[in-house]
Amino acid sequence: MSRTKRGLHALHPLSAFLYYVGGAVFIMAGQHPVFAACTFVLVFVLNGIQDHFAALKKWGRWYAAAAFLIVILTPAFHRRGTHILFYFRDNPVLLEGVIQGVIAALSLLALLFLFVSFNQVITSEKFLFLFSRVVPQWALLAMLTMRFVPLFQRRLHDIGLVQKTKGMSVKKGGFLSRIESAMKLLHILLEWSLEEALQTADSMKARGYGIERRSRYSPYAFSAIDAVVLALTAAGGVCAIFGYALGDTVLTTSPVLEPVLLSGREWFYFSVYLFYFAFPMMIEGRERWRWHFSKSTK
Amino acid sequence: MALLQINQITFQYPDAPTEALRDVSLMVNEGEFIAICGPSGSGKSTLLRLMKRECAPHGRLDGTIRYQGIPLKELPPKTTATAIGMVFQDPDNQIVMETVMEELLFGLENIGLDTLTMRKKIAEIVHFFGLEPLLDRPTYELSGGQKQLINLASVLLMEPRILLLDEPTSQLDPIAAKDFLNMLRRMNEELGIAVVIVEHRLEDVWPIADRVVLLHEGRVIYDDPPHKAATFLASKADDAFFDYLPSASRLFLHYAATNQNSRLPITVKEARSWIKGLTVRVKEASTQVVHERMKPVVLETKNIDFQYEKGKPRILDRLSFSLYENEKLAIVGGNGSGKSTMLKVLAGLLKPQRGKVVYQGRKTTGHIHPDIAYMPQNPRLYFSEESVKLELEKAAHDSPLSPETKQHIIDEWGLAALGDRHPYDLSGGEMQKLVFACLLLRGPRVMLIDEPTKGLDPESKKQFGEWLNRFSWRGMSFVIVTHDIEFAADYADRVGMLFRGEVTAMADAAAFFKGNAFYTTSINRITRGVSAPEVSTLKEAYVTWDVQNGSP
Repeated sequence: MSRTKRGLHALHPLSAFLYYVGGAVFIMAGQHPVFAACTFVLVFVLNGIQDHFAALKKWGRWYAAAAFLIVILTPAFHRRGTHILFYFRDNPVLLEGVIQGVIAALSLLALLFLFVSFNQVITSEKFLFLFSRVVPQWALLAMLTMRFVPLFQRRLHDIGLVQKTKGMSVKKGGFLSRIESAMKLLHILLEWSLEEALQTADSMKARGYGIERRSRYSPYAFSAIDAVVLALTAAGGVCAIFGYALGDTVLTTSPVLEPVLLSGREWFYFSVYLFYFAFPMMIEGRERWRWHFSKSTK
Repeated sequence: MALLQINQITFQYPDAPTEALRDVSLMVNEGEFIAICGPSGSGKSTLLRLMKRECAPHGRLDGTIRYQGIPLKELPPKTTATAIGMVFQDPDNQIVMETVMEELLFGLENIGLDTLTMRKKIAEIVHFFGLEPLLDRPTYELSGGQKQLINLASVLLMEPRILLLDEPTSQLDPIAAKDFLNMLRRMNEELGIAVVIVEHRLEDVWPIADRVVLLHEGRVIYDDPPHKAATFLASKADDAFFDYLPSASRLFLHYAATNQNSRLPITVKEARSWIKGLTVRVKEASTQVVHERMKPVVLETKNIDFQYEKGKPRILDRLSFSLYENEKLAIVGGNGSGKSTMLKVLAGLLKPQRGKVVYQGRKTTGHIHPDIAYMPQNPRLYFSEESVKLELEKAAHDSPLSPETKQHIIDEWGLAALGDRHPYDLSGGEMQKLVFACLLLRGPRVMLIDEPTKGLDPESKKQFGEWLNRFSWRGMSFVIVTHDIEFAADYADRVGMLFRGEVTAMADAAAFFKGNAFYTTSINRITRGVSAPEVSTLKEAYVTWDVQNGSP
């Protein structure tokens, strides 16, 4: 089966895009350890379902490093609270600070994971579809830039190898000579890439880019499931903002630290969160289930 | 009426001292196949680009270019975009979208076709090219040959009446290049699309062209059907253009006088039928060419395994071979067979997972050894300074050679004249010369060269081959990775083929090509299974053949 036509990939670009925007709102509104942990776990699982963590394996180390830094650094700068855990070099380390750090780290990870998933669903084709009418130049620029990132990585690696044979390396010598080497490598990269980009532009113009409005080979269909996703996004988004405004999705740390366990109305918001982030899994899962079912009954 | 008519155009780039094209006229008729050849800098690409309005270079243009009688400038944009198609040299830079399907659709969506029309066209072209299995693949995963076919297909979808190609096969391996040209011929014959192709690899283009146009210093020197053009070139006194002739004609010309009325052969088939009428004996003295195999080994690889990432296929798989002193070893193989990777491992730039590289008895695996120089495929990657002079100074700075030797190298290469120019402003041949000289300044004993003949005209190619000969006499050894079969046959001592991660079928250059059906020179294809002794290069024929009745 073609991965590009099923599950989340089959959604209309607009509803998919809005769903992800909504997801980001949810994550930013849920400043509570239980909410943050819940979104983190669900988005993580979504990544696993989508590409078996292939993208996360590549970038996971850096994400983890960033999260670790936040967990360590937030308590160091957090000074408002009453629960002193211990003293570090005469500075009090507060429970409030640690909790804030955990929330921030989990939210950051959830956002990054969501973006990884976004990148797989919103391909450059869909991106062009969404934005080429509203902001054509910017859409093109954004697309070319996205194309450039992996290209730049590969090229910089090649340039680095060749320059190493000349004895130029960013891993050797004093600080200044390293900086100088790095600047030279970048210089070569830019000069080379610009020239190649001109060729790409030529190839686009040669095939008539920009002479009239682009048509679409497979028009994106707006299906019932898109309506459901849109409704969910709208209702969920309103809920999340309300929850945030009422403080139900936020853990109060001052003047007094609120208990971490959920109570009362918070359970309602929690179930909304759970449903919102579990929804894509249901879509993907339903697809798998159907396939499984159709194969087994043949 | 001509499809495209170029009428006495003169073109000058801004700030250029001389015109790039002078008084050029060219007529492209419906369904014609035209090959444009000429040395680098003769204005071939400029002429080709001027025919495509969207890609025309900036500068001063006098004269007119008309498409079906209408000046190119006055055509509606949609007509120029669809009727005149263009395929460029570099397979990667032309590709815009992420998947093959999207790439094929790119042009059609640009001109606003509706889904039904697009579906019909795509289905047809996919079938014609046999692209079905590739449709959902990401474009960056494809091989160079596949990419170039996709580029051709996506241009073809626009239903052009005329197709312009700028050295489209220069980055492809011999098999992929042949496939590409065959496809081009089919389109020309079956769909009647006119083709104008600029090529250095003329061997395979001569036989399928209707006309050959020769450009020199911005002027059209000759424009005629291939047989006539070949006869003309052969009759010209100076042999600067002799190398543009296909080997079939060159072989003929060596043994038969041109003033004969017999037809000059340009294809393998024609040359074979000519040879059948010959009586050829092997010269007595010539068979004594024995290679002494007792030379010391300089560089050796033992059981090298290499993969870029865990779980990815192995690029090198138990690779083992030896390089002898002052030997020129050529390695051929398909696009993506791992030839470049192999050179990087030899140079110590990549560390293999298993196995070792041994230089003069010492292990150098994963380390850069000052005696081993590496010349990248793209000379641009090598330059880091602002001028030729600085680049040379940098190379000379940390060299173990004596100042006299260094000066000698710089003088020998005549690089002082290029002095203050930026390395990027040099021509392809000059860039290569500069890299070669910079590498020599470091006093290496072994040089690893990646695709040296890419985009070089026959003359620069010959010159490069001469350098290799000169320096191997002085004791250097070379490993050359190349697609250029003819070049390998002419200049290498031994040739090996990289296949499935190991070097197979390593043999003396002459012996290597004799067993192959596709990976071989046209001279070998001409002389295989005829009454004359089988040879793989012109030189070999000159040396070993004793022709009794050359002129029929």
